[in-house]
Amino acid sequence: MAISTDAVDAQQGVDTTERWIRQYAHDHVAHLLVVAFLGAYPLVYSVLTAIGAGGVFEAFLPKIETMTAVFYFGLFAMSFDFISGYTGYLSFGHAVFYGAGGYFVILVANGKVPLLPPETPFMVSVLLAGVLAALVALAIGSVSFRLSGVYFAMITLGFAQVAYVFMRDWEFLGSNPRDGVAVSNELHPNAFEIGIPGVDALNLAVGPLRGDAVEWLFLDLGATEVSYYMIGLVVLVCYLAMQRMVHSPFGRVLVAIRENEERARAVGYDTYRYKMAAFAVSGFFAGVAGGLFAAFRRSVSPDNSLYFLVTGDALLASIIGGFGTLAGPLYGRLFDRGVREFLSKTGGGGGLLPLLREYVPPSVLDTGIVNGMTVGQSIETFLNGHASLYLGIVFVVFVLYVPGGLLGSLRDRLGGPVAKRLPAYLRNLRK
Amino acid sequence: MLRTQGLTRRFGGLVAVDHVDFELGADELCSLIGPNGAGKTTFFNLLTGVLDPSEGAVELNTDGSWADITGADPAETARRGVHRSYQITNIFPQSTVLENVRVAVQADGATGRHLHRNVHSYDAHFERAHEILDRVDLADEADTTAANLSHGAARQLEVGVALAGDPDVLLLDEPNAGVSSESVGRIVDLIEDVATDHAVLLVEHNMDIVMNVSDRVVVLDRGSVIADGPPEDVRNDEAVRQAYLGGYERNVEETA
Repeated sequence: MAISTDAVDAQQGVDTTERWIRQYAHDHVAHLLVVAFLGAYPLVYSVLTAIGAGGVFEAFLPKIETMTAVFYFGLFAMSFDFISGYTGYLSFGHAVFYGAGGYFVILVANGKVPLLPPETPFMVSVLLAGVLAALVALAIGSVSFRLSGVYFAMITLGFAQVAYVFMRDWEFLGSNPRDGVAVSNELHPNAFEIGIPGVDALNLAVGPLRGDAVEWLFLDLGATEVSYYMIGLVVLVCYLAMQRMVHSPFGRVLVAIRENEERARAVGYDTYRYKMAAFAVSGFFAGVAGGLFAAFRRSVSPDNSLYFLVTGDALLASIIGGFGTLAGPLYGRLFDRGVREFLSKTGGGGGLLPLLREYVPPSVLDTGIVNGMTVGQSIETFLNGHASLYLGIVFVVFVLYVPGGLLGSLRDRLGGPVAKRLPAYLRNLRK
Repeated sequence: MLRTQGLTRRFGGLVAVDHVDFELGADELCSLIGPNGAGKTTFFNLLTGVLDPSEGAVELNTDGSWADITGADPAETARRGVHRSYQITNIFPQSTVLENVRVAVQADGATGRHLHRNVHSYDAHFERAHEILDRVDLADEADTTAANLSHGAARQLEVGVALAGDPDVLLLDEPNAGVSSESVGRIVDLIEDVATDHAVLLVEHNMDIVMNVSDRVVVLDRGSVIADGPPEDVRNDEAVRQAYLGGYERNVEETA
């Protein structure tokens, strides 16, 4: 008898697991679609660009390297949005956490961090980079959260600029700290590996030059694709962790603080502590993003990690993607980079300019417009190297007409978060 | 339940609250009245820790012994059981009505610190929030964004958010402020209802309501208590008439 009950229990166990998986897949259909699309992207990219079609696909589709950069910077932008979009406290000095993570990883690899040898696995050093950034966030937050509004933004910006100037002139970092620090090829000849530390088979190196290539079954992935997948994986895990927090009781308190901090306090929340905790979480993920960035490039400089314009880029991504939506900034960054690349790729890499050169007939290109300037010359003048100008216009348009950003507007259109509305929509469709 | 001793608050040369000794009983519905600028809202802010007193003490007794809560911050006074509503509607405008109450329910206890579980796995919070919405007569508006509520409904939600923290003492600051005369009845019913199981201190300008619902009336004028007693006694008190109620009595005579 006992055996048969066990069998029934086991059967039920399978049923509930299956039901749970089905329910999960149903609730997370939006996430699964995005992950599936991004997972297939390198393959799609290589197939479509191989077809050629006169460089059309090459012109429109972002390169795999670009996508990798979108991943790690998107994670940074999400961490910026986690504090700024959810609590309403604009962290204008967020670059300091990104820089802290980046510098930490590089300095560990160069053996300049006490107690940590250059061989420290990247997964350990990137985790510690996150912890370091979280501690920096607590230190900055303890002072800054005494202020609010524009004063908070200004004081965090001040802290970040102090860090920028300090790191720019700190001789300990390397021979020319102004230009940044690179990983020493003698001390750390191998690329940084993402995976499970200590298990060689479960690690893959990232980086455009030194990354691992994988040949498995029909798959033939180069270093670029491997970096794309491994960095994407880390970003996905970080996103899911933040997503959890956003929808937890803690996350709702953050929204309450954004909506009405006085009342949040009056119903019993010690808002200072909540803001500090959120800032530390946000700092942690910004630090991880900085670590990924540095590991991929094997170098970090004050201007590409600590400078206030780096925070500006995260703000731009958040505004375009949707402020106060967690995944929004990643899409915002993708939009930003995609458009930038489309407008500025030159040579054989695709982009609008080569496309026009190829498709517009010479007779049109040579037609004069004004003062002997031809159409061809004016295209060169207006397109070559002016991506930032057009993106600036796009930014203004977004602020004016799409205040919710890409994801925010979609959310308004659907009447709720996309991840929630899509399953309901599909259910209706099936009926 | 809640008492103050020599509670004083000065703003520069102005004494907004002047040596107030006050005690609110456990089952009491006490109204605090007085002309504009008498110090009623300042008194509320002192009780809830928004302001620190210049002198004097605030004490709370929820479990049989008096605890000093002078200088405790708003979050702590709330956790100890003193909740308030605001004269000017002060809710979470972009959240739904349900979420307004739910997030306040969640503050009671340590669940706000949980960051690994989805809010929807806390069924008790939702049940409690729905109970409160029933009580403040907003069950039909649960999914409405708070900013889109009518003024009267927003005032009901204001009380609902205060109720959500499971208060022992409820401080209601003009729950009727700006409410049209048709909707006043609904809020008066709500005040009387919450007074059945909470100690309530009510600030109210409408004397008809004050005289009808209160067990006791305290009159504040220029920061001092000038009368304290059952509504009838206060109505007939000469000092109160001088300071404040003259207009009310005239109105009653005119309508009569």
